[in-house]
Amino acid sequence: MSARAWAGWIALTLLVAALVHAGSLYALPYVVMNRTFSILGDRNMMHHMARADANSRKVVRPSPDLLYSACPYDLSKGPLEIRATIPHDTYWSVSTFDDDTNNWYVLDDRQTNRNKLDLVVQAPDSDHEVAATEHRLVVTSPSRHGLILIRTLINDEDRFDQIDRTRRLATCGAYVPSE
Amino acid sequence: MKFGLKLAAALVVGIALGLFATWATVIYGAGPNALSDGPWQTSLATGSAKSGPYTRAKVAMHGLLALNRSETIYYTAYTDSSGAPLDGACAYDVVGHDPDARWWSITAYGTDDFLIPNPVDRYSISKNSVLRAADGTFSATVGSAAHVQNWIPTARAPFSLTLRLYNPGASVQSEPGNASLPVIVKDGCT
Repeated sequence: MSARAWAGWIALTLLVAALVHAGSLYALPYVVMNRTFSILGDRNMMHHMARADANSRKVVRPSPDLLYSACPYDLSKGPLEIRATIPHDTYWSVSTFDDDTNNWYVLDDRQTNRNKLDLVVQAPDSDHEVAATEHRLVVTSPSRHGLILIRTLINDEDRFDQIDRTRRLATCGAYVPSE
Repeated sequence: MKFGLKLAAALVVGIALGLFATWATVIYGAGPNALSDGPWQTSLATGSAKSGPYTRAKVAMHGLLALNRSETIYYTAYTDSSGAPLDGACAYDVVGHDPDARWWSITAYGTDDFLIPNPVDRYSISKNSVLRAADGTFSATVGSAAHVQNWIPTARAPFSLTLRLYNPGASVQSEPGNASLPVIVKDGCT
């Protein structure tokens, strides 16, 4: 084979390598997020995960000092409503992630003086936009699929049961407009 | 060699090279927005929609569901302050004072990015749990040999530490590469 032919095959090989590298790099976050959605359980439901320990294998690098409640979402059938009790004596936050791992919204206990969270998450191409009110926050997800994650800090081991009970009040389900 | 065989070889080698490059990037690449503060590494773009594909891929594999830097800054150490890889066959002193944040913790993880099994089910120290000296500084021991106070247990194997700063102070947010963070000093190996 001539030197020119070798150069052509090497160029083709490198082109394939570059395309595969770019494609796999872009696909990886979507693959990992979709795997995580499946591992966590049913969509559009709040899953209150047990305190992380060495047996926790659902999400990498969990914090053993936080309690996690997660709602993998699919907005194709309409908006979702998340309700929760916001404790003001420890760190608490609700955060949202799109299907490309981006954290596109976060609200923590210091950014609101509300005691109750009423958060509606709607799709980017929602037919009927839900209006925000004095008691209801409305955010628009950049993707139809994603994840809502509530973190509650265990700032006092003696209060673990109380903190756990409070965070388990959080729910996630279809938004139903009031009459 | 026939044309078909050459083409197949180019495709197979190209695919293998491309996947290897992705794997190497995710495992070893620092990412375009990486910063170091002593042994602690962080990325300005973690969790942000502005992060590029390299940062996003690393976060997906090693820090999924990380918050953006305005809410939380995550530092990870794979080495001690002298640059030597962290290994559970050695003991380390993590010495410093409270970082500038509403709440912080230091947690040990195995090479699989999960918490390390240990007899006392302890995985971290935090602002709430660490015992401090009279001057406000703390010293924690990290390693497989048991300690009574301020101990983060590991296996006798390589590990890493993650320092979480929740609601980081303005100085850390503006200059995360110049935050005053604990040092990690090797105490000895067995």
